[in-house]
Amino acid sequence: MSSIDSTPSTGGGGKELIGTVAGPGEGPNEFIVVTPDEQAVKTGEFITYSVPVEGTDRDVIARVTNREQARGLPETFMADPNVAPETVASTLGVPTDEIDLYRLEATVIGFYDTGMQTFSNPRQLPSPGTRLWTAPNEMLEAILPNLGVDEEAATDTSGSIDLSRVDVEDREGLAHMGWLLNREANAVDIHVPIDEFAATHLAILASTGSGKSYTAGVLMEEMMMPDSRASLLVFDPHGEYGTLSEMRGDETFSGEGYQPEVEYFDPENLRIRISELNVGDVMSILDNPSDRMQERLDGGWRAMQRRESRTWGVNDLLDEMRQQYGEDDSSVGALEWRLRRSIQRNDLFTTDANVPLDDLVAPGRCTVLQMDTLSRRDQQMIATVLLRRLYQARLAAVRNRGEDNEFDGEIIRHPLFALFEEGHRFAPATGEAPSLGIMRTITSEGRKFGFGLGIISQRPSKIDQDVLSQCGTQVTMQIQNPTDQDAIKNSVEAAGEEVLRELPGLTPGQAVVSGDSMNTPVLIQVRERHTRHGADSIPATSQWQQAHKERRQQPSRAEAADMGGGESTGEEDLL
Amino acid sequence: MSSQPTDDTGSEESSHIDDCLAIGSIVNSNSHMDYTVEIFNETDRDRPPEPHECGFGQPVFIHKTIDGTEYIIMGVIYDTQLVDPDQGRSGPRLAQGDQPQFTPGYVEERTTLAGVALLGTAEVTESGTVESPSHEMPRWTLAVDDVVEQCPDEVTRIFHTGTDGGLQIAYIERLLDVAGPLGAEVTLAIVERLRDLFSEDAHQRVLDVVEKDVRWQSSVDRGVMQ
Repeated sequence: MSSIDSTPSTGGGGKELIGTVAGPGEGPNEFIVVTPDEQAVKTGEFITYSVPVEGTDRDVIARVTNREQARGLPETFMADPNVAPETVASTLGVPTDEIDLYRLEATVIGFYDTGMQTFSNPRQLPSPGTRLWTAPNEMLEAILPNLGVDEEAATDTSGSIDLSRVDVEDREGLAHMGWLLNREANAVDIHVPIDEFAATHLAILASTGSGKSYTAGVLMEEMMMPDSRASLLVFDPHGEYGTLSEMRGDETFSGEGYQPEVEYFDPENLRIRISELNVGDVMSILDNPSDRMQERLDGGWRAMQRRESRTWGVNDLLDEMRQQYGEDDSSVGALEWRLRRSIQRNDLFTTDANVPLDDLVAPGRCTVLQMDTLSRRDQQMIATVLLRRLYQARLAAVRNRGEDNEFDGEIIRHPLFALFEEGHRFAPATGEAPSLGIMRTITSEGRKFGFGLGIISQRPSKIDQDVLSQCGTQVTMQIQNPTDQDAIKNSVEAAGEEVLRELPGLTPGQAVVSGDSMNTPVLIQVRERHTRHGADSIPATSQWQQAHKERRQQPSRAEAADMGGGESTGEEDLL
Repeated sequence: MSSQPTDDTGSEESSHIDDCLAIGSIVNSNSHMDYTVEIFNETDRDRPPEPHECGFGQPVFIHKTIDGTEYIIMGVIYDTQLVDPDQGRSGPRLAQGDQPQFTPGYVEERTTLAGVALLGTAEVTESGTVESPSHEMPRWTLAVDDVVEQCPDEVTRIFHTGTDGGLQIAYIERLLDVAGPLGAEVTLAIVERLRDLFSEDAHQRVLDVVEKDVRWQSSVDRGVMQ
């Protein structure tokens, strides 16, 4: 490890001498640093000092958690807002240059242990007088995300361990999300390991307008790069991801004969085969079925599922139930009305059509399900059925069911990642949603089967806590609502106090990334998207203006309508 | 506190330091910064200072040549004391009322002493005006019998003007320290005097802030404010 030398230089790579340790802080891992103002060290900055651990000098990383003025001009100099305190100071002969001293509180994160491939706390605070440096850019790039830097990668030619020499750009399967907020643009690029969040699920939480769809777009772009070629499925209830198609043919995304595919499915070709539903799904869309009706439906449904045919419809089901319970069973009669209303007359459900899973997901393909014209219940139904089928197909692949000749189900041989915009619709904390069960199953067990979920939501408090707490990686952006902050605190393990403190102060495009993908929570500025952003706010005033102009140019309807008692009056039209 | 115009000397608009009214001579020092001045009386000078010319807060200077350079050492009267060795005794008088100059000394030992705190220095040009004011502590000491003169307003003004044209009262902390319990009062007296000398609005505002600061601090020190 490069020992910090004694030259008081400011080096390249962001390593600058910033201050001196004044003493221990309140907590067992906290210490106090004194620094002059000119070295503006912001809260959240990563600083480093050297400490011998078992005979080897280790560069320990600490995070600045608070900043107070230790010394400065007295407040009485600010008695008159019209008089600058510096003017008073110069009148009284008080030196104003470099008089400010700042007191920083810092929390030890630890040194990077190449054996454990994560931070290790030396349990040892720096002694007073220890000089502190801002952590070098390259070092932060290598150790902040959970990239698994091993000793071999970090050892330089002289045999000593130097984390700054690890070039993360060379690695594959990383998502370049942005850069460390406290540093200059692109000084410390943050590359999140895609494998990590694709396996342990992802949550993007932010209030509206803070850039959560934008951030999701950035991640999706990264996942579609040639070194990842993900199989992505996006549930898009608002049609926000139309611009992802720009990835097709874009040079940024192509390489080694690869071009990302971007497919859009709209409600026209999103059909659910009735036989794919299970009895619970049907219950959830029927109007208040009585216990007896539920019992009848359960019996009928089971019988239908035992059949060879997968193309049965409501009529077949009703026939089956009449056979079981008699022609004139009143409950079956009541069910008939409900089934016809909820299923048969809903275009979403068909007896035969079924989207082949191979069409839906494939490596290097990003499939966007545009569900903006569907009702919430229909969106949930689609998610329920598709997720269940995909999960079964992954399960079959992992359990090598493909080798079983008798197996006639679907198999998907590659890992999947499904992203849910408006995640609280599909896994709500309160109320019924047929999709909740399968989402709980996938978030708790999907890791073993290579099925990752991404939940995007502006209301963390409205997401089912089981689902949210299983999202191992969190990208949290500006959130001011205290209920939502509490939801994050309660369900997101990596969200410490310091993360929560940052949330209200973030501006759009700034995010805290925490969880399994990171070794420690990190404040980042999300990078610019390569493709356009598809979910900008609508410019209301200009659109009103335009619409008003157009309206004035058209002949007025009031003139066209004959209200004078002719054959057709406007009133009659209304009736 | 005396902020009355010193029209007797006829030098209030002058920046010259010649012909200023001598108000006393140094007889003692308490520290490098703190001198005791005996105020001249009729027996010392034909024109002894009037009470308002050597009052509390009166800026004064001592004209000295050091290493070939002429300086004035600025000071301010921050304290006065009356001395009467004859206190409580009414002995025989040797002199008649028309012979004040020939009166034996012991009767005239009654005198007024003034405490002068040094504020800084300024150089004297060949034409007798002052320049390059410095509010640093003077490095050299004064001598017994050095004559202390009343400082004309214009010189006071130049002394309080910084290199950037702004107001300068950089000795304030030292003055507060040297003047002890009367520090706040003498500072306020100087501030009051500077108000008349610097009429610009910006300077008045700065003086307001300084005055508030001094008043507040002295109130805190006296325990009437927190």
